[in-house]
Amino acid sequence: MPMYKVKPVSPGDIKIDLPACMYKSPNIHAQGMNCGDHALQNGGVDPALERLEGRQDEVLRRLYELKAAVDGITKTVTSPDADLDVSTGSRLPAESVFRGTADLDSLLGKDLGALRDVVINASPGRPPLSLLVLHALLCQRYQVLSSVHVHSSVSAVPPSLLSCLGPRHTDSYARQRFQLGFTLIWKDVSELQMKFNTQSMCPIEGEANVARFLFRLLGAGPQDPVAATQMDCWIDTAVFQLAEGGSKERAAVLRSLNAALGRSPWLLGQEFSLADIVCACCVLRAGQASSAPVNVQRWLKSCQNLGHFDCVYPLLQ
Amino acid sequence: MTKENVQGAAEEEQQAQSKKGLKKQQKEAEKAAKKAEKQAKLAAEQQEADEDDFAKDRYGICPMVQSQQKLDRALVRVQDLTPEKAEQQIWVRARIHTSRAKGKQCFLVLRHQQFTVQALLAVGERASKQMVKFAANLTKESIIDVEAVVKKVEQKIESCSQQDVELHVERIFVISQSEARLPLQLEDAVRPEGEGDEEGRATVNQDTRLDNRVIDLRTTTSQAIFRLQSGVCQLFRDTLINKGFVEIQTPKIISAASEGGANVFTVSYFKTSAYLAQSPQLYKQMCICADFDKVFCVGPVFRAEDSNTHRHLTEFVGLDIEMAFNYHYHEVIDSITDTMVQIFKGLRDRFQTEIQTVNKQYPSEPFKFLEPTLRLEYKEAVAMLKAAGVEMGDEEDLSTPNEKLLGRLVKEKYDTDFYVLDKYPLAVRPFYTMPDPNNPKYSNSYDMFMRGEEILSGAQRVHDAQLLTERAMHHNIDLEKIKAYIDSFRYGAPPHAGGGIGLERVTMLYLGLHNVRQTSMFPRDPKRLTP
Repeated sequence: MPMYKVKPVSPGDIKIDLPACMYKSPNIHAQGMNCGDHALQNGGVDPALERLEGRQDEVLRRLYELKAAVDGITKTVTSPDADLDVSTGSRLPAESVFRGTADLDSLLGKDLGALRDVVINASPGRPPLSLLVLHALLCQRYQVLSSVHVHSSVSAVPPSLLSCLGPRHTDSYARQRFQLGFTLIWKDVSELQMKFNTQSMCPIEGEANVARFLFRLLGAGPQDPVAATQMDCWIDTAVFQLAEGGSKERAAVLRSLNAALGRSPWLLGQEFSLADIVCACCVLRAGQASSAPVNVQRWLKSCQNLGHFDCVYPLLQ
Repeated sequence: MTKENVQGAAEEEQQAQSKKGLKKQQKEAEKAAKKAEKQAKLAAEQQEADEDDFAKDRYGICPMVQSQQKLDRALVRVQDLTPEKAEQQIWVRARIHTSRAKGKQCFLVLRHQQFTVQALLAVGERASKQMVKFAANLTKESIIDVEAVVKKVEQKIESCSQQDVELHVERIFVISQSEARLPLQLEDAVRPEGEGDEEGRATVNQDTRLDNRVIDLRTTTSQAIFRLQSGVCQLFRDTLINKGFVEIQTPKIISAASEGGANVFTVSYFKTSAYLAQSPQLYKQMCICADFDKVFCVGPVFRAEDSNTHRHLTEFVGLDIEMAFNYHYHEVIDSITDTMVQIFKGLRDRFQTEIQTVNKQYPSEPFKFLEPTLRLEYKEAVAMLKAAGVEMGDEEDLSTPNEKLLGRLVKEKYDTDFYVLDKYPLAVRPFYTMPDPNNPKYSNSYDMFMRGEEILSGAQRVHDAQLLTERAMHHNIDLEKIKAYIDSFRYGAPPHAGGGIGLERVTMLYLGLHNVRQTSMFPRDPKRLTP
């Protein structure tokens, strides 16, 4: 008895229009193609496979290195001989300010074609000296397009504030050639404010916080947490007690500065850091430079010798 | 019909007639009696009035001033009525803003431009009842001459601009009487929109204002707006003259359309036709080729665009600048933006009263700007818009909503309402725009924005006849029509750039208003040709 046959619903060979976004892979079921045998027969290895193996080796190697580093640290922490004296600074070498490897793309987000412009709104009555020093440092590292504007809420600004970022760059008509923008706007604001990416970042307020942000763009701060904390501690001391405190507090801060600088050339030890920038600027702005203790005066002289503070002195009159 | 019947009918008619006649006579007699009564009454009143009116010569309607006599009388302006003039007897000419009778007194508020002062007329030895009644019945907006004594007041009169003084009227004469029914009330015209809705009071809508522009322009807000506009024009001229510019006047009847044939008005010109100029572009450039170096011109611009939007007019005042530069067109951008900043500063420093007056009816944020002006590049703008979620191509022109969004983004980051966008794509600009030397897809052109709306479109112009011909052909423009224009560049032309702004649009955006008809005295749009 013949079985029930269903007539074919669709013809056997339909032409399908493949969309362009798909890619074709070779048909592994077709006759006459046996990749594995083919390669093994030749004695060579498929290059894609080679690359994959290479990547795997690389990852494994980095894992081993990390493991070794972690083991090292556990030993130093847990072994009874290691006596970590926090007050004398960490044993791990601190990264130098100028030798850090920073990538603007990783720090600030991918460049979509717009100049990455840091906008700082400052009151002309209280110029942010530490930010000017950081600007000088940034110019050494990156191509920075600096501009100074006066906002309509302020009627007039002394010429020294208009030229505080230095002379205009000769290429400033071509914004595309710069990696970073630094726009300083003299405006009637109660607190210094920085805006960078208004879509994804809220404004940063306060000179110390903006200084920390800009310093991170330089790509190096102390890597170990102890030194970083000390740096933050010095910055906070400078901003709250030295700049805004009464004369007793200021004297106390100057004494502790003196003590710290007696032990090492810079506040964090052997390396110049953001703590030195902010503290020096606060001391200079408070007008205490000439009456400061010996070590502090020596340290101020060293800061000046570095050359980054040249933009600050004309504004101190 | 028999004779008798006819006779009878006639008799009846006669009788009927006499009856009707009687009735008619009666009615007439009644009417006459009534009339006589009325007249007698009036006469009695008149006599009474005449009897008591001792102040008859101290008020009245003056005959029309046809320069009958040259009176050497000094009229004091309302804005000069201050406590310093206390106890002085002065003459004032002003309009009646309001008049209100209260028993034996009449309070008048007199107005001249933006200034108002209170005047008082009380029955006494100087003023009679009839005089007070006359004053109370004067129609609003009538122009009157008042002789009065200036008196200081202890309590400030909050509702007037001159708050420390009041006038005690001695004589009052009408120079020009106004009709009783006004098409719109001035206090309604000055009321802010929100207040009108809340309290159920009337506000005047725009069409009514524009139809009765003469009365609408008398309001304090309109006076302030147009005084500020006059300031814009004056600051524009002063700043440019100080920079060494020369003012020129260009012809408005031209033979060929300058910006493209679509939006141009045609006029019949003897046996042919001509066009009304869409912009002074061609003539400004010819002046540069004629070695004037820096020119500007202020004059009407005619655009036959059938756009019924809040910011388009068919005729407006164009303030145009053209300047030859040395090596880079940014020299011109710097000059133009500096001029704009000087205008903004001048308005901020010298026209605060006017700005505050306008803000009372139309509240808005004060206008903010940076000096030197912020300049962003087109690519940056596209990146900012893309980051905010807008999808657009790299060489696409900015649509109006995108321009507004960009304005808000710039305001958020830089806190400025005025900025320049440089390096537009070449494809969206007119044929005479100079292409960018480093990237053929872009051009040396720029737009300036106020509060997110475009106010100026400018560029470096092509000053080489050959390149200009190529660009014109690329845009499929008939070379015959622009032959004279191309010829002007054949005999040595300096590199130059420029741009033009619309006076009404700049005033509107500076004050934060929402319709350009508010800043145009007698606006012209596709639907309005009068007044």
